[in-house]
Amino acid sequence: MVDAFAYVPAIVLLPFFSFLVALGGGKYLPKGGAFGGIAATAGSFVLSIWVAVTVLGGRTYNETLYTWAGGEQFELTFGLLIDPLSALMLVIVTLIALLVHVFSLGYMNDEGETGLPRYYAGLGLFTASMLGFVVADNLLMAFMFFELVGLCSYLLIGFHFRQEGPPSAAKKAFLVTRFGDYFFLIGVVAVFATFGTAQFAGDGSFPVLAEQALNGEFDAWTPLGLDVGTWFTLVGLLVLGGVVGKSAQFPLHTWLPDAMEGPTPVSALIHAATMVAAGVYLVARMFGFYALTPTTLAIIAFIGGFTALFAATMGVVKEELKQVLAYSTISQYGYMMLALGAGSYVAATFHLMTHAFFKALLFLGAGSVIIAMHHNENMWDMGGLKDKMPVTYATFLAGSLALAGIFPFSGFWSKDEILYEAFIHGLNEPLLLGGWIMGLLAVPVTAFYTFRMVFLTFHGEPRSALARDPEPVRWNVKGPLSVLGVLAVVAGFVNMVPVQKLLGVEGIDLLSQWLDNEFGGIEGVGYSAYNDLLATYAGYEAGTIAGSEEITLIVAAGLGLGLAVLGLLVAWLLYRAPEPTEHTEKLGGAKDVLYNNYYQDEFQVWLAYRTEDVAGGANVFDQGVIDGVVNGISSVSLAGGERVRRIQTGLVTHYAAMLTLGLVALIVVLGVTGGWF
Amino acid sequence: MVDQLPQWAALAPVLALAATGLLLLLIDAIKPSARSNTSMAVTSALGALVSLALTVWFVVAGTGHEDTGGAIYLFADAIKVDTMALFFTAIFASVTALVVVAAHDYFHDHESPAEFYSLVLFSATGMALLAVANSLAVVFVALEMVSLPSYALVGFLKKNRGSVEASLKYFLVGAVSSAIFVFGISLVYAATGSLILSDVAEGIETVDGLAGVAGAGIVMMIGGVAFKTASVPFHFWAPEAYEGAPAPVSAYLSSASKAAGFVVAFRVFTEAFPIGASISAGIDWVLAFGILAVVTMTLGNFAAAVQENVKRMLAYSSVGHAGYALIGLAAISAGGSSNDAVMGAAMAHLLVYGFMNTGAFLFVAMAERWGVGRTFADYAGLAKRAPIACVAMAVFMFSLAGLPPFAGFFSKYFLFMGAIDNGFVWLAAVGAINSVISLYYYSRIVKAMFLDDPSSESALDAVDVRPTGLYGAVIFAAVATVLLLPGFGPVIETAEAAAAALF
Repeated sequence: MVDAFAYVPAIVLLPFFSFLVALGGGKYLPKGGAFGGIAATAGSFVLSIWVAVTVLGGRTYNETLYTWAGGEQFELTFGLLIDPLSALMLVIVTLIALLVHVFSLGYMNDEGETGLPRYYAGLGLFTASMLGFVVADNLLMAFMFFELVGLCSYLLIGFHFRQEGPPSAAKKAFLVTRFGDYFFLIGVVAVFATFGTAQFAGDGSFPVLAEQALNGEFDAWTPLGLDVGTWFTLVGLLVLGGVVGKSAQFPLHTWLPDAMEGPTPVSALIHAATMVAAGVYLVARMFGFYALTPTTLAIIAFIGGFTALFAATMGVVKEELKQVLAYSTISQYGYMMLALGAGSYVAATFHLMTHAFFKALLFLGAGSVIIAMHHNENMWDMGGLKDKMPVTYATFLAGSLALAGIFPFSGFWSKDEILYEAFIHGLNEPLLLGGWIMGLLAVPVTAFYTFRMVFLTFHGEPRSALARDPEPVRWNVKGPLSVLGVLAVVAGFVNMVPVQKLLGVEGIDLLSQWLDNEFGGIEGVGYSAYNDLLATYAGYEAGTIAGSEEITLIVAAGLGLGLAVLGLLVAWLLYRAPEPTEHTEKLGGAKDVLYNNYYQDEFQVWLAYRTEDVAGGANVFDQGVIDGVVNGISSVSLAGGERVRRIQTGLVTHYAAMLTLGLVALIVVLGVTGGWF
Repeated sequence: MVDQLPQWAALAPVLALAATGLLLLLIDAIKPSARSNTSMAVTSALGALVSLALTVWFVVAGTGHEDTGGAIYLFADAIKVDTMALFFTAIFASVTALVVVAAHDYFHDHESPAEFYSLVLFSATGMALLAVANSLAVVFVALEMVSLPSYALVGFLKKNRGSVEASLKYFLVGAVSSAIFVFGISLVYAATGSLILSDVAEGIETVDGLAGVAGAGIVMMIGGVAFKTASVPFHFWAPEAYEGAPAPVSAYLSSASKAAGFVVAFRVFTEAFPIGASISAGIDWVLAFGILAVVTMTLGNFAAAVQENVKRMLAYSSVGHAGYALIGLAAISAGGSSNDAVMGAAMAHLLVYGFMNTGAFLFVAMAERWGVGRTFADYAGLAKRAPIACVAMAVFMFSLAGLPPFAGFFSKYFLFMGAIDNGFVWLAAVGAINSVISLYYYSRIVKAMFLDDPSSESALDAVDVRPTGLYGAVIFAAVATVLLLPGFGPVIETAEAAAAALF
């Protein structure tokens, strides 16, 4: 039988070929190369399903394919790591990419955009980079594709480069994420220096070596004689820098709302499956390492919880549809980070999956509304669209319910699991508990802004001429929406852990089993293995209230659901009117703060100017001292050269004389040292 | 494979070059009226390529290699064919082929170009013979065989005052150097009683009271080598000869002729004057080469930095590179663990240098063919009119300066690394500092070609022809310079094997 793993490189290369085709011949192809991209991502999707089925059959793949630089100390390689986590991620990424390609037919081609080959080339490369990142078997390869992902987001966010906003937003996204990647790069180097390898899994991989180092079985290099535990925490934090940048966590989240300047399908891809997901996926990928450093975990959890709440509050006052979604993305990735920090690898992956579906759905739905509204994104100009675009409304509503975490939509299950895990582990760990509280507080806020968005957009009376007569959308918009709408409803059922615990129904926690290597996996890379590590090295243990797991579960789930419903009801009361009015004025001064995103951008600009001041000082030093020395050396050299040049007089008698004298001098020197005389 | 051939067949590359030279004379003699520049160029290029092909075949087949029975000795040990000889013959043949192809365009309107080709081929024959010489007598004869056609080649533009003057100066300095060299041989013969290299080595071990005589002779022989390699203080001819000579001849002299000087030095000094025996006899020739290496590279690079004329700058840079290659002899020690590494690296550097330096001079030849002028300022904006050639030139310049990712980086890296491994950190340090200085004047050309604007609108109108042969040679040299980077493994291995056989 043909081995599915032999085709894994093809999963990455197919979109890459579509990139080449669109770039090279896109303008000669129908639809600007769209069909090539659709075919390529569809092919990748089918292959990914095949790979996932193979993994389900109990097989995994962890091989180095190509060593591109080898040395005595370490080798730099490309390889593939296919285990339950990466197989799942492949399916998610290829599915979303495929749907985004199809949707783009409606959003870009039907709207008569120009520069389509460039657009489809960008999408192809973006997908290929992310897939390469997903299958990477070592940290360096992951870093390289991580950077490619960043580059592609730059190209696509700045797609409409002739307008003022997109190039600036693209630049911001590039620079802010690059700031985080800078730390990531140092982290990669540190991992190589410490362990001599950057493999993710298997014997001799760096998480395994790190564990051995903590037990004193492996002699890891540390700088300045640091204790291994402290050093591992530092390395973990360095890599986390890249994660915070890409996954738009506080304080490097500022690029993401601006990135809404890009075409909406690109936003869907960035938010659901590629760029932003890359950060969280990276932590999950090397979770075996993070599980050894409790301090890093606590920081991850706290950052995550804080970001979840912080971003949600900003989403409350936004007027543009995509802006609300942007802040919700930041907030939701905060939840995933909270889950990872709380040690729940499964909950994070679960939420990554459900979020990928419902957020892609919401963005594509927003795209559909934007088509209908002729690219007016202001929600205050909308209203009453539900009767005119029923498919969009129904699917968007499903996505919103999932985002708000309403039972039984997919978001409820994953978010509930995150909060539960954070809660039970937080009972013994104050920093985690802080994260949990913030995560919990974000729940009603999320439900509120989500339904504020739904009511303003789809309910009430149309508030503009555009909303009264929206442009119809075609199958290529409705198709992807329907697929994602179904997934947003049902995706949560793959992991009904609370139901299993309460009712004792076995076998309905498929995702947990999948990630726990129940169907097969790589030893040491899986949920139970991580739990053991967490218990041993991070001291994580689950607490309960009133000594009962059931009560804890009911309290946690009830609290989450209750708060979500509360948020929804408040939104209902305030905005479920034929002619809703702006209520943000009631917030008083807080409104301005929220509206200006807590002045984060202003702060960063201020920080950039202070950096410039420091750089100015460095510049003076550089110009004065460094350049002075360099210029001095060069003038001395040139003066010396002039001297040397004058030896060449042009008179051959002088040459003969100097030549003979030189020879005599040489004979004398050697004669004296050799004792010939 | 080679076993089936007679022993003398090992000389086939040399014979191919000699036969081509004679064939050129024959063609010229039979049909003096019908002679054509093209047929001459094609014949000589084919001859050089045949020689190159034979050499490469022999290297691959392992002729003269330890694995196939060791070096082949001919004519009562006067000739010795081994891997090093073949390695250098490959350099000579490649440079010869590039030069004759380029010369076709350069001499397109010359009255009698036929002599040029035969002189080049005879000179190349001398070089190839030099590479296999195993007796001091053969060394001297072959050296003269290289030199005498060179004098004529430098003065080949008979009506050009600079060319004739350079030729005369070259001849006079050459005469003094040859006299010193042959006197040195006679002193060595007096002290050791033999001209065959291995017998000389035995004589050095028992030299006792005659150490002074042998030592003076050896230093004088260093002088002869220094003349051929254009090392200080025997370098005075070089800047003027390179500047005055037709540019293809400059390319030939600065690449092939210099390598010929080094092949003599590598063979004679390691085989006839083994380090251990020489030092115990009080003749520390390694020190002499160390002094020469430092002085040569420093003087060459400093002088190159202040030149305004591109060709003269390249001449001094060529002196500087002789200094780098001298490290191959200056950084060895008795029983040193990296002797073969450092000398092999010097050989590899000479091979890479053969391509990049020839290419640079041929670019100058192209500029002379166009008539755009000779100074840095005259090259301003050239990239707009001749982009491909200028990219090739930029490759040569950066490779000469030793920047990655070009072959010049690797050869220099291995050279300095070998010196460091052998304990000569100071030589590597001086070499590295000199490389930094060299970057200054090499990048000046690149800046002029790509960044500067031409001095006037019409300054570049001279670029009106596309000399195919010159273009081909320049681009071939550039491609070789780039391809030697991935192909550097086999080159350095062959060179190190060749050097290892000497110790």
